[in-house]
Amino acid sequence: MSSPPYSRTSAGKSRTIRAVIATVAGLRRPCLLLSFVVAALVGACGGAGGAEPASPTAVPAPTPPPLGARETAYDPPRPAPALRLTDQDGRPFDLASLRGRPVLVYFGYTHCPDVCPTTLADVRDALRLLDDPVGVVFVTVDPARDDAPAMKQYVDYYQSGFSGLTGSEAEIAAVADAWGVSYAKLESASAAGYAMAHSTDTYLVDGEGMLRHHLFFGASPELIAERIREVAG
Amino acid sequence: MPPVRRFARPAGLLVAALLVASVAAGCSSGGGASIKVTEPWARASSMVAAAGAAYMKIENTGSEADALIGASSPAAATVEVHETVAMESEMPSASDGMGMESPMPSASDDMGGGMMGMRPIARLEIPAGGTVELMPGSYHIMLIDLNQELKPGDKIEITLTFEKAGDVKVTAEVRES
Repeated sequence: MSSPPYSRTSAGKSRTIRAVIATVAGLRRPCLLLSFVVAALVGACGGAGGAEPASPTAVPAPTPPPLGARETAYDPPRPAPALRLTDQDGRPFDLASLRGRPVLVYFGYTHCPDVCPTTLADVRDALRLLDDPVGVVFVTVDPARDDAPAMKQYVDYYQSGFSGLTGSEAEIAAVADAWGVSYAKLESASAAGYAMAHSTDTYLVDGEGMLRHHLFFGASPELIAERIREVAG
Repeated sequence: MPPVRRFARPAGLLVAALLVASVAAGCSSGGGASIKVTEPWARASSMVAAAGAAYMKIENTGSEADALIGASSPAAATVEVHETVAMESEMPSASDGMGMESPMPSASDDMGGGMMGMRPIARLEIPAGGTVELMPGSYHIMLIDLNQELKPGDKIEITLTFEKAGDVKVTAEVRES
Protein backbone atom coordinates (compact mmCIF):
# COMPACT_ATOMS: atom_id res chain seq x y z
CA MET A 1 0.00 0.00 0.00
CA SER A 2 1.28 3.38 -0.92
CA SER A 3 -0.07 5.31 2.06
CA PRO A 4 -0.93 4.34 5.60
CA PRO A 5 -4.64 3.43 5.57
CA TYR A 6 -5.13 3.98 9.32
CA SER A 7 -6.87 7.19 10.20
CA ARG A 8 -9.46 8.60 12.61
CA THR A 9 -11.71 10.28 10.12
CA SER A 10 -14.82 8.36 9.05
CA ALA A 11 -13.51 8.07 5.53
CA GLY A 12 -10.26 6.98 7.07
CA LYS A 13 -12.04 4.42 9.29
CA SER A 14 -13.77 2.74 6.38
CA ARG A 15 -10.43 2.62 4.66
CA THR A 16 -9.04 1.07 7.85
CA ILE A 17 -11.71 -1.60 7.89
CA ARG A 18 -11.16 -2.40 4.25
CA ALA A 19 -7.46 -2.56 4.85
CA VAL A 20 -7.90 -4.95 7.76
CA ILE A 21 -10.14 -7.21 5.70
CA ALA A 22 -7.73 -7.08 2.79
CA THR A 23 -4.91 -7.80 5.18
CA VAL A 24 -6.50 -10.89 6.67
CA ALA A 25 -7.68 -12.11 3.29
CA GLY A 26 -4.30 -11.51 1.80
CA LEU A 27 -2.53 -13.35 4.62
CA ARG A 28 -0.01 -10.57 4.80
CA ARG A 29 -0.10 -10.09 8.54
CA PRO A 30 0.49 -13.45 10.23
CA CYS A 31 0.01 -12.11 13.74
CA LEU A 32 -3.40 -10.68 12.98
CA LEU A 33 -4.42 -13.81 11.08
CA LEU A 34 -3.19 -15.96 13.96
CA SER A 35 -5.31 -14.08 16.45
CA PHE A 36 -8.37 -14.53 14.23
CA VAL A 37 -7.66 -18.27 13.97
CA VAL A 38 -7.20 -18.64 17.72
CA ALA A 39 -10.36 -16.63 18.31
CA ALA A 40 -12.26 -18.98 16.02
CA LEU A 41 -10.88 -22.04 17.81
CA VAL A 42 -11.70 -20.65 21.23
CA GLY A 43 -15.10 -19.56 20.02
CA ALA A 44 -15.77 -23.15 19.04
CA CYS A 45 -14.29 -24.44 22.24
CA GLY A 46 -15.26 -22.13 25.00
CA GLY A 47 -18.37 -23.47 26.66
CA ALA A 48 -21.78 -21.85 26.81
CA GLY A 49 -20.98 -18.90 24.63
CA GLY A 50 -19.29 -20.88 21.88
CA ALA A 51 -20.80 -21.60 18.50
CA GLU A 52 -21.76 -25.19 17.77
CA PRO A 53 -19.47 -26.89 15.22
CA ALA A 54 -21.28 -28.43 12.29
CA SER A 55 -22.55 -32.03 12.60
CA PRO A 56 -20.19 -33.77 15.03
CA THR A 57 -20.31 -37.52 14.54
CA ALA A 58 -21.37 -39.41 17.63
CA VAL A 59 -19.36 -42.57 18.20
CA PRO A 60 -21.78 -45.32 19.23
CA ALA A 61 -21.37 -46.47 22.83
CA PRO A 62 -20.60 -50.15 23.27
CA THR A 63 -23.57 -52.50 23.52
CA PRO A 64 -26.33 -50.13 24.59
CA PRO A 65 -29.50 -51.86 25.77
CA PRO A 66 -31.80 -52.57 22.84
CA LEU A 67 -34.34 -49.81 22.45
CA GLY A 68 -37.93 -50.96 22.61
CA ALA A 69 -36.94 -54.26 24.20
CA ARG A 70 -36.99 -53.05 27.78
CA GLU A 71 -39.24 -55.76 29.17
CA THR A 72 -40.93 -59.09 28.80
CA ALA A 73 -44.07 -60.33 30.51
CA TYR A 74 -44.55 -63.69 32.17
CA ASP A 75 -47.55 -65.01 30.29
CA PRO A 76 -49.03 -66.77 32.12
CA PRO A 77 -47.68 -65.55 35.48
CA ARG A 78 -45.83 -68.18 37.49
CA PRO A 79 -44.93 -68.47 41.17
CA ALA A 80 -41.76 -66.56 41.99
CA PRO A 81 -38.91 -68.80 43.15
CA ALA A 82 -38.18 -68.95 46.86
CA LEU A 83 -35.92 -66.21 48.15
CA ARG A 84 -34.59 -66.71 51.67
CA LEU A 85 -31.37 -64.94 52.59
CA THR A 86 -29.99 -62.61 55.27
CA ASP A 87 -31.03 -58.96 55.31
CA GLN A 88 -28.97 -55.85 56.01
CA ASP A 89 -29.67 -56.09 59.74
CA GLY A 90 -28.34 -59.62 59.84
CA ARG A 91 -31.83 -61.12 60.17
CA PRO A 92 -33.38 -63.93 58.11
CA PHE A 93 -35.43 -62.59 55.22
CA ASP A 94 -38.11 -64.39 53.23
CA LEU A 95 -39.64 -62.85 50.12
CA ALA A 96 -42.97 -64.39 51.11
CA SER A 97 -43.10 -61.93 54.03
CA LEU A 98 -43.82 -59.19 51.50
CA ARG A 99 -47.06 -60.77 50.25
CA GLY A 100 -49.76 -58.21 49.78
CA ARG A 101 -47.63 -55.72 47.88
CA PRO A 102 -45.78 -55.74 44.55
CA VAL A 103 -42.06 -56.42 44.89
CA LEU A 104 -39.14 -55.60 42.62
CA VAL A 105 -36.16 -57.95 42.86
CA TYR A 106 -32.75 -56.98 41.51
CA PHE A 107 -29.35 -58.66 41.67
CA GLY A 108 -26.14 -56.59 41.77
CA TYR A 109 -23.29 -55.57 44.06
CA THR A 110 -22.33 -52.49 46.04
CA HIS A 111 -18.99 -51.86 44.30
CA CYS A 112 -20.83 -51.42 41.00
CA PRO A 113 -20.48 -47.72 40.09
CA ASP A 114 -22.59 -47.61 36.94
CA VAL A 115 -25.31 -50.19 36.25
CA CYS A 116 -26.59 -50.91 39.77
CA PRO A 117 -26.84 -47.30 40.98
CA THR A 118 -28.54 -46.40 37.70
CA THR A 119 -31.15 -49.14 38.08
CA LEU A 120 -31.79 -48.50 41.77
CA ALA A 121 -32.16 -44.78 41.11
CA ASP A 122 -34.71 -45.57 38.38
CA VAL A 123 -36.53 -47.87 40.82
CA ARG A 124 -36.52 -45.22 43.54
CA ASP A 125 -37.86 -42.66 41.06
CA ALA A 126 -40.58 -45.12 39.98
CA LEU A 127 -41.64 -45.52 43.60
CA ARG A 128 -41.94 -41.76 43.93
CA LEU A 129 -44.60 -41.89 41.20
CA LEU A 130 -46.70 -44.32 43.23
CA ASP A 131 -48.72 -44.03 46.40
CA ASP A 132 -49.07 -47.67 47.41
CA PRO A 133 -46.26 -49.56 49.13
CA VAL A 134 -43.85 -51.49 46.94
CA GLY A 135 -41.15 -53.82 48.21
CA VAL A 136 -37.67 -53.58 46.70
CA VAL A 137 -35.18 -56.38 47.24
CA PHE A 138 -31.53 -55.97 46.24
CA VAL A 139 -29.58 -59.23 46.31
CA THR A 140 -25.80 -59.17 46.17
CA VAL A 141 -23.87 -61.40 43.80
CA ASP A 142 -20.67 -60.43 45.66
CA PRO A 143 -21.16 -61.72 49.21
CA ALA A 144 -17.38 -61.73 49.78
CA ARG A 145 -17.39 -57.94 49.95
CA ASP A 146 -21.08 -57.25 50.54
CA ASP A 147 -21.73 -58.35 54.10
CA ALA A 148 -24.80 -57.15 56.04
CA PRO A 149 -23.22 -53.84 57.22
CA ALA A 150 -22.15 -53.04 53.64
CA MET A 151 -25.66 -53.79 52.39
CA LYS A 152 -27.16 -51.64 55.14
CA GLN A 153 -25.08 -48.61 54.22
CA TYR A 154 -25.93 -49.14 50.57
CA VAL A 155 -29.71 -49.51 50.85
CA ASP A 156 -30.07 -46.87 53.55
CA TYR A 157 -28.72 -44.38 51.06
CA TYR A 158 -31.83 -44.70 48.89
CA GLN A 159 -34.09 -43.95 51.86
CA SER A 160 -36.84 -45.96 50.25
CA GLY A 161 -37.13 -49.02 52.47
CA PHE A 162 -35.11 -51.29 50.19
CA SER A 163 -34.08 -54.68 51.57
CA GLY A 164 -30.45 -55.63 50.95
CA LEU A 165 -29.78 -59.34 51.04
CA THR A 166 -26.59 -61.32 51.40
CA GLY A 167 -25.56 -64.80 52.45
CA SER A 168 -22.91 -67.42 51.87
CA GLU A 169 -21.51 -68.01 48.39
CA ALA A 170 -23.52 -71.23 48.19
CA GLU A 171 -26.77 -69.58 49.29
CA ILE A 172 -26.36 -66.75 46.79
CA ALA A 173 -25.53 -69.20 44.00
CA ALA A 174 -28.65 -71.24 44.72
CA VAL A 175 -30.94 -68.19 44.72
CA ALA A 176 -29.37 -66.77 41.57
CA ASP A 177 -29.78 -70.09 39.79
CA ALA A 178 -33.42 -70.33 40.85
CA TRP A 179 -34.12 -66.83 39.52
CA GLY A 180 -32.22 -67.33 36.27
CA VAL A 181 -29.54 -64.83 37.18
CA SER A 182 -26.01 -65.24 35.84
CA TYR A 183 -22.97 -63.68 37.41
CA ALA A 184 -19.20 -63.95 37.21
CA LYS A 185 -16.11 -62.38 38.73
CA LEU A 186 -14.14 -60.05 36.44
CA GLU A 187 -10.49 -59.69 37.38
CA SER A 188 -8.60 -56.73 36.00
CA ALA A 189 -5.78 -54.35 36.80
CA SER A 190 -8.26 -51.83 38.15
CA ALA A 191 -7.44 -50.22 41.49
CA ALA A 192 -11.02 -51.02 42.47
CA GLY A 193 -10.25 -54.73 42.52
CA TYR A 194 -12.49 -57.21 40.79
CA ALA A 195 -15.81 -56.31 39.21
CA MET A 196 -18.84 -58.56 38.81
CA ALA A 197 -20.61 -59.28 35.58
CA HIS A 198 -24.28 -59.99 36.31
CA SER A 199 -27.72 -60.17 34.78
CA THR A 200 -29.22 -56.72 35.02
CA ASP A 201 -32.91 -57.53 34.92
CA THR A 202 -35.43 -56.35 37.48
CA TYR A 203 -38.12 -58.87 38.35
CA LEU A 204 -41.65 -57.75 39.23
CA VAL A 205 -43.56 -59.99 41.61
CA ASP A 206 -47.19 -59.25 42.44
CA GLY A 207 -48.91 -59.26 45.84
CA GLU A 208 -49.72 -62.98 45.51
CA GLY A 209 -46.11 -63.92 44.97
CA MET A 210 -46.49 -64.44 41.21
CA LEU A 211 -43.78 -63.41 38.75
CA ARG A 212 -45.42 -60.97 36.35
CA HIS A 213 -42.79 -58.95 34.57
CA HIS A 214 -39.16 -58.76 33.73
CA LEU A 215 -37.70 -55.31 33.13
CA PHE A 216 -34.33 -54.82 31.48
CA PHE A 217 -31.59 -52.34 32.29
CA GLY A 218 -32.62 -48.96 30.98
CA ALA A 219 -36.34 -49.33 31.72
CA SER A 220 -37.52 -45.85 32.68
CA PRO A 221 -39.08 -44.97 36.05
CA GLU A 222 -42.34 -44.30 34.18
CA LEU A 223 -42.36 -47.78 32.63
CA ILE A 224 -41.51 -49.44 35.93
CA ALA A 225 -44.28 -47.50 37.72
CA GLU A 226 -46.80 -48.37 35.01
CA ARG A 227 -46.11 -52.10 35.31
CA ILE A 228 -46.35 -51.93 39.10
CA ARG A 229 -49.73 -50.18 38.83
CA GLU A 230 -50.95 -52.92 36.50
CA VAL A 231 -50.04 -55.77 38.84
CA ALA A 232 -51.25 -53.91 41.91
CA GLY A 233 -54.63 -53.97 40.18
CA MET B 1 4.34 3.46 10.76
CA PRO B 2 4.15 0.16 8.85
CA PRO B 3 0.96 -1.64 9.82
CA VAL B 4 2.71 -4.79 11.01
CA ARG B 5 4.46 -3.01 13.86
CA ARG B 6 1.27 -1.37 15.02
CA PHE B 7 -0.47 -4.75 15.18
CA ALA B 8 2.30 -6.93 16.52
CA ARG B 9 1.93 -6.13 20.20
CA PRO B 10 -1.89 -6.06 20.41
CA ALA B 11 -2.07 -9.24 18.28
CA GLY B 12 0.44 -10.98 20.52
CA LEU B 13 -1.47 -9.95 23.64
CA LEU B 14 -4.71 -11.07 22.03
CA VAL B 15 -3.26 -14.49 21.22
CA ALA B 16 -1.94 -14.87 24.74
CA ALA B 17 -5.24 -13.78 26.28
CA LEU B 18 -7.27 -16.11 24.08
CA LEU B 19 -5.03 -19.07 24.86
CA VAL B 20 -5.40 -18.42 28.60
CA ALA B 21 -9.16 -18.07 28.15
CA SER B 22 -9.39 -21.30 26.18
CA VAL B 23 -7.59 -23.27 28.88
CA ALA B 24 -9.77 -21.75 31.57
CA ALA B 25 -12.90 -22.62 29.62
CA GLY B 26 -12.29 -26.36 30.02
CA CYS B 27 -10.92 -27.11 26.65
CA SER B 28 -7.51 -27.66 25.29
CA SER B 29 -5.68 -27.61 22.01
CA GLY B 30 -2.66 -29.65 21.21
CA GLY B 31 -1.39 -30.38 17.76
CA GLY B 32 -4.44 -30.80 15.55
CA ALA B 33 -6.72 -31.93 18.39
CA SER B 34 -9.08 -29.70 20.29
CA ILE B 35 -11.15 -31.16 23.10
CA LYS B 36 -14.41 -29.77 24.43
CA VAL B 37 -16.12 -31.40 27.41
CA THR B 38 -19.77 -30.67 28.09
CA GLU B 39 -22.48 -31.72 30.54
CA PRO B 40 -20.17 -33.32 33.12
CA TRP B 41 -22.01 -34.84 36.07
CA ALA B 42 -21.35 -37.38 38.78
CA ARG B 43 -23.72 -39.74 40.49
CA ALA B 44 -24.32 -39.25 44.19
CA SER B 45 -22.67 -42.00 46.21
CA SER B 46 -22.90 -42.86 49.86
CA MET B 47 -20.08 -45.25 50.45
CA VAL B 48 -16.59 -43.98 50.93
CA ALA B 49 -15.28 -47.49 50.42
CA ALA B 50 -17.00 -48.10 47.12
CA ALA B 51 -16.80 -46.25 43.87
CA GLY B 52 -18.53 -43.40 42.14
CA ALA B 53 -19.13 -42.66 38.49
CA ALA B 54 -18.97 -39.53 36.39
CA TYR B 55 -20.33 -38.96 32.90
CA MET B 56 -19.89 -36.29 30.21
CA LYS B 57 -19.71 -35.62 26.49
CA ILE B 58 -16.25 -35.35 24.97
CA GLU B 59 -16.02 -33.65 21.62
CA ASN B 60 -12.95 -33.43 19.43
CA THR B 61 -13.30 -30.37 17.25
CA GLY B 62 -9.80 -30.79 15.87
CA SER B 63 -8.51 -32.39 12.72
CA GLU B 64 -6.64 -35.25 14.37
CA ALA B 65 -7.91 -38.09 16.52
CA ASP B 66 -7.15 -37.84 20.21
CA ALA B 67 -7.58 -40.26 23.10
CA LEU B 68 -8.50 -40.07 26.77
CA ILE B 69 -5.68 -41.84 28.55
CA GLY B 70 -6.16 -41.00 32.19
CA ALA B 71 -7.89 -38.93 34.82
CA SER B 72 -7.50 -37.70 38.38
CA SER B 73 -9.61 -35.94 40.96
CA PRO B 74 -9.24 -34.64 44.47
CA ALA B 75 -12.50 -36.49 45.22
CA ALA B 76 -10.98 -39.97 44.89
CA ALA B 77 -7.69 -41.78 45.41
CA THR B 78 -7.74 -43.29 41.92
CA VAL B 79 -9.68 -42.37 38.80
CA GLU B 80 -10.02 -44.73 35.85
CA VAL B 81 -11.91 -44.88 32.59
CA HIS B 82 -14.23 -47.88 32.33
CA GLU B 83 -16.73 -49.25 29.91
CA THR B 84 -19.84 -51.24 30.70
CA VAL B 85 -20.38 -54.02 28.19
CA ALA B 86 -22.70 -56.95 27.60
CA MET B 87 -21.07 -60.28 28.40
CA GLU B 88 -21.73 -63.89 27.55
CA SER B 89 -22.98 -66.09 30.32
CA GLU B 90 -21.06 -69.28 31.01
CA MET B 91 -23.48 -70.47 33.61
CA PRO B 92 -25.87 -73.34 32.94
CA SER B 93 -29.28 -72.57 31.53
CA ALA B 94 -31.50 -70.69 33.96
CA SER B 95 -34.43 -72.98 33.26
CA ASP B 96 -32.75 -75.91 34.99
CA GLY B 97 -33.31 -74.42 38.42
CA MET B 98 -36.94 -73.54 37.88
CA GLY B 99 -38.44 -77.00 37.64
CA MET B 100 -41.09 -75.68 35.29
CA GLU B 101 -42.37 -76.68 31.94
CA SER B 102 -41.22 -73.70 29.98
CA PRO B 103 -37.92 -71.94 30.52
CA MET B 104 -37.88 -68.68 32.39
CA PRO B 105 -37.71 -65.86 29.87
CA SER B 106 -34.55 -63.92 30.39
CA ALA B 107 -32.61 -61.19 28.78
CA SER B 108 -30.18 -63.81 27.50
CA ASP B 109 -32.64 -64.55 24.74
CA ASP B 110 -31.96 -61.12 23.28
CA MET B 111 -28.70 -60.04 24.77
CA GLY B 112 -26.45 -63.06 24.54
CA GLY B 113 -26.18 -64.14 28.15
CA GLY B 114 -27.94 -61.18 29.68
CA MET B 115 -25.00 -60.15 31.82
CA MET B 116 -23.44 -56.75 31.91
CA GLY B 117 -19.98 -56.16 33.29
CA MET B 118 -17.35 -53.52 33.13
CA ARG B 119 -13.64 -53.27 32.50
CA PRO B 120 -11.00 -50.56 32.70
CA ILE B 121 -9.87 -49.15 29.38
CA ALA B 122 -6.44 -47.64 28.96
CA ARG B 123 -7.28 -45.52 25.99
CA LEU B 124 -10.60 -44.10 24.79
CA GLU B 125 -10.27 -42.75 21.28
CA ILE B 126 -12.07 -39.53 20.40
CA PRO B 127 -12.15 -39.33 16.60
CA ALA B 128 -11.43 -36.09 14.78
CA GLY B 129 -14.68 -34.15 14.46
CA GLY B 130 -16.42 -36.73 16.66
CA THR B 131 -18.11 -36.91 20.04
CA VAL B 132 -17.90 -39.72 22.56
CA GLU B 133 -20.58 -39.76 25.23
CA LEU B 134 -19.87 -41.21 28.64
CA MET B 135 -23.25 -42.28 30.01
CA PRO B 136 -24.87 -44.89 32.27
CA GLY B 137 -24.52 -48.36 30.79
CA SER B 138 -21.58 -47.32 28.64
CA TYR B 139 -18.28 -45.50 29.08
CA HIS B 140 -17.82 -43.85 32.46
CA ILE B 141 -15.22 -42.26 34.67
CA MET B 142 -14.84 -44.40 37.78
CA LEU B 143 -13.90 -42.66 41.00
CA ILE B 144 -12.25 -45.25 43.25
CA ASP B 145 -11.77 -44.94 47.01
CA LEU B 146 -13.73 -41.75 47.39
CA ASN B 147 -12.25 -39.13 49.69
CA GLN B 148 -15.66 -37.68 50.37
CA GLU B 149 -19.29 -38.63 50.17
CA LEU B 150 -20.76 -37.35 46.91
CA LYS B 151 -23.94 -35.46 47.80
CA PRO B 152 -26.37 -33.94 45.27
CA GLY B 153 -25.30 -30.39 44.54
CA ASP B 154 -21.63 -30.99 45.34
CA LYS B 155 -19.16 -29.94 42.68
CA ILE B 156 -16.12 -32.09 42.07
CA GLU B 157 -13.14 -31.34 39.91
CA ILE B 158 -11.90 -33.98 37.48
CA THR B 159 -8.77 -33.57 35.37
CA LEU B 160 -8.93 -35.56 32.14
CA THR B 161 -5.65 -36.33 30.39
CA PHE B 162 -5.66 -36.63 26.62
CA GLU B 163 -2.90 -38.03 24.46
CA LYS B 164 -2.62 -34.87 22.34
CA ALA B 165 -4.64 -32.20 24.08
CA GLY B 166 -3.09 -32.81 27.46
CA ASP B 167 -4.94 -32.00 30.66
CA VAL B 168 -8.50 -30.73 30.59
CA LYS B 169 -10.12 -29.76 33.88
CA VAL B 170 -13.85 -30.15 34.27
CA THR B 171 -16.19 -29.46 37.14
CA ALA B 172 -18.87 -32.10 37.55
CA GLU B 173 -22.02 -31.46 39.51
CA VAL B 174 -23.21 -34.33 41.66
CA ARG B 175 -26.75 -35.38 40.80
CA GLU B 176 -29.10 -37.68 42.59
CA SER B 177 -29.55 -39.92 39.56
